[in-house]
Amino acid sequence: MNKGTYDAVVIGGGMSGLTAAITLCDAGKTVAVISKGDPVCCLSTGCVDILNSTDEPFDGISSLPFGHPYGLVEQDLIIEACEHFMETAARGSLPYAGSIHKNRHLITPIGMKKTTCLVPKTMEHANCDENEGIHIVSFRGLKDFFPSYIMLQYSNTGCSIFDASVSSTIGIAERFEDERFRETFADWLSRQHIPEGKIAIPAVLGIRSSFSIYKELSQRTGRTFFEIPTLPPSLPGIRLFKCMKQAFLARGGHLYWGSEIASVEKLGAIIEGVTLKNPGRVGRVQGRAFILASGSFISGGLFARMDSVQETVFGLPVYYPENRSGWFKDSFFSRGHQIEKAGVEVDSSFRPLADAPFKNLFICGSIMARSEVMKYGCGHGLAIATGYAAARSCEGFVR
Amino acid sequence: MNVKDVIIIGGGSTGCGIARDLALRGISHCLIEKNDFAAGATGACHGLLHSGGRYAVADTDAAAECIAENRILSRIGRKCVEQTGGLFVRLPGDSKKYRDAFLKGCERLGIETEVLSPTRALELVPSLNPALEEAVRVPDCSIDPFRLCMLNIVSSKARGGEIFTHHEVINIIKERGRCVGVKLKEKLSSSIKEIRGKVIVNAAGAWAQRIAILAGSSLPMTLSKGSLVVTNHRLSNMVINRLRPPSDGDIIVPNEAVCLAGTTSVAVDSPDNLEVTSGEVETVAWEAASMVPEFEDVRLIRTYAGVRALLNSESLDGRQISRSFQIIDHKNGLFSIIGGKLSTYRLMAEKLCDAVMRHLDLKRACLTAEKPLEGQEELRGYPLSDRLESLKDIICECELVRRSDVERVIQRISPKHIGDIQHRTRLGMGPCQGGFCTYRALGVMQETGKVSPEESIEILKEFLQRRFKGIRPVLWGDQLREEQLIEYIYLGILSMESY
Repeated sequence: MNKGTYDAVVIGGGMSGLTAAITLCDAGKTVAVISKGDPVCCLSTGCVDILNSTDEPFDGISSLPFGHPYGLVEQDLIIEACEHFMETAARGSLPYAGSIHKNRHLITPIGMKKTTCLVPKTMEHANCDENEGIHIVSFRGLKDFFPSYIMLQYSNTGCSIFDASVSSTIGIAERFEDERFRETFADWLSRQHIPEGKIAIPAVLGIRSSFSIYKELSQRTGRTFFEIPTLPPSLPGIRLFKCMKQAFLARGGHLYWGSEIASVEKLGAIIEGVTLKNPGRVGRVQGRAFILASGSFISGGLFARMDSVQETVFGLPVYYPENRSGWFKDSFFSRGHQIEKAGVEVDSSFRPLADAPFKNLFICGSIMARSEVMKYGCGHGLAIATGYAAARSCEGFVR
Repeated sequence: MNVKDVIIIGGGSTGCGIARDLALRGISHCLIEKNDFAAGATGACHGLLHSGGRYAVADTDAAAECIAENRILSRIGRKCVEQTGGLFVRLPGDSKKYRDAFLKGCERLGIETEVLSPTRALELVPSLNPALEEAVRVPDCSIDPFRLCMLNIVSSKARGGEIFTHHEVINIIKERGRCVGVKLKEKLSSSIKEIRGKVIVNAAGAWAQRIAILAGSSLPMTLSKGSLVVTNHRLSNMVINRLRPPSDGDIIVPNEAVCLAGTTSVAVDSPDNLEVTSGEVETVAWEAASMVPEFEDVRLIRTYAGVRALLNSESLDGRQISRSFQIIDHKNGLFSIIGGKLSTYRLMAEKLCDAVMRHLDLKRACLTAEKPLEGQEELRGYPLSDRLESLKDIICECELVRRSDVERVIQRISPKHIGDIQHRTRLGMGPCQGGFCTYRALGVMQETGKVSPEESIEILKEFLQRRFKGIRPVLWGDQLREEQLIEYIYLGILSMESY
């Protein structure tokens, strides 16, 4: 591993961190990513939500309340960031479909519609209306997918069950990576006499080569398929993460995986390096600039005490709603809990606000204050936009 | 027409205990419960089988009942009582005088005690506050209230007792001023049944006043809410009490894989829609942390609250049997039983049944203290190694519940409610509190044709909201992280809110 000083050190290996890291690599910078483990991206649907609270996400961004982190990213840069993402994913054999100007709807495992924007091509045909004939193909014993929920909403729906002799989504996906299994499956499928129409399948079509498996299956059977993202662990999320990680490595980036940060070395207002909490020897990573993309509560970038919220790596000042009893609404089903506003406040260059002590630290992703990812449905979209923009700002700093 | 000697209203420990007692005396009976067994205070208490120590100073009658029942239940209910033992811990500043009175009281009542040095106490429970002055060991135990109710019901069913869970009493039928039967409504289908009986027993706990009113009788009660918290794991293998006069938040009880701590005491007007406040959680956690410091940082996974029902003393018109519980003969064929505690449920049932037998002019002795609870042989307890054998079949990862465990319950009782499965398997009782496995369990129920997809969506929605209500007061730390993931699954991935 490079023992010198990186141009940029990214803390967090999720969507925002890897987006920033890839962007900086493309600009010719030397970059390291430190991550304590597989990111929350692996639990996601793999779809890129840009802004789900409206039909036209790009136009909707400008009417978000003042202070939302999307507001820090120039409009052109948001488009550029999404194009950059689509290109990166396509080069990594995980092509995405969709446009930032128009949302689409997917069928969820309970038969409801989920709004999203950019989707892996294996889900491209998931827009269905209630009367359209759909046939569901599922797998025996699969504990995270029950076709009956969908059949309740889509009356014109049939169902066939294949026995893959494994019952977890990851187990079945691994089997689909094997050509002989795919052959057996396609043969079985052609014997099912499935009526005209689309075929829905839980998202298990492979881990590493989902798109080519999807194409092959469509060609072999002459049918139109689409995948339905399942409960975590979710294959489309895992595929997206693997694709981003590979893209970073292919650009010469360095990964420090499974590493938590033990301490921060600083000189005045400049962070010089971090030490890693590795068993055995002490690891040190030095950088000219640092990007904090450690995520919100689920990822551990923020941690809530009984009466306060902390930023866990640098101890940065955090904005949070004061009174704990108001952090959550009474209803589980109403989005937009106050606690979602918690996070690090930044200036227009993605640095922590003035009273924060560091000059070479940039912030991106859901750790940013007022991002309210669940309320607005902007998970990966915000990560891509702010990851890209923070990287641009950081690039200017280390030039 | 369906005619019984006795109709029991309420499926808590008291009602279930009465059903068993009557069954063993050969009296025909039925039991009506509007939810599942142990749905009221029985399932919302500490699950502590008292040694009597807690009452040894101020309420010696109650203490004497406790130690006697403790010995009986330890004998007859081996599989639902865990012999944890208990400690009364004296912290700096706690009165030495109280400790002397405590030891004297225990001695007089025959409660075995052993005074332990701080070193010895810390050997037994390493998580104790190391600043403790001393501890007194007593025979406190932990008891599983759900299992206890169900085992009592086994005896009742085996002798022809009819059990109607998820049935609500909507009226009491009266003829010539006497209660002669009840009208009940099945909750899901809303179908109405009528049952006739010679005696009606009101063991509805906090809801007893409502039943009495249906019968045209008065039963003025005072309701007091007690709130508890559940930890993510066991912090102590023994029951921990504070050696001081009973007060808020001074008991910690290990139960299966977790610890329960509480309680508070807040007057409420209604036994329904109980809320646990953030303030109560802080009080309980803070008090528990004074005995077991880890409570300051431990992950709390849930809160719950039960209601103690006490008779308004000035309006006592019935015969007072003991300070700890009251049996009221309303002189119209209705008997009410109020107060008491889980530890003395069997004794309460015995006294109530004695009163009913006198009323029916029958002489058959109570057998519940001698005969072991039936059905214990089949109980599997919590055999971790057994469950680990078939990992791929597991649908509740927190509590290692297998698909086959769920299917067996479905076959046996045809559940219509997710709680029926949870109480019988521990599904959903772990750190994620059913966030992952409830969706799966309902899927399995659908596959067996026991519920329709529409019904499962309704059940799931009701479950998620109830679950959230219990978790909301403890949302910080890791539990907040878990909750945001669950929110993401149900709203972000499934779009559950559009239903």
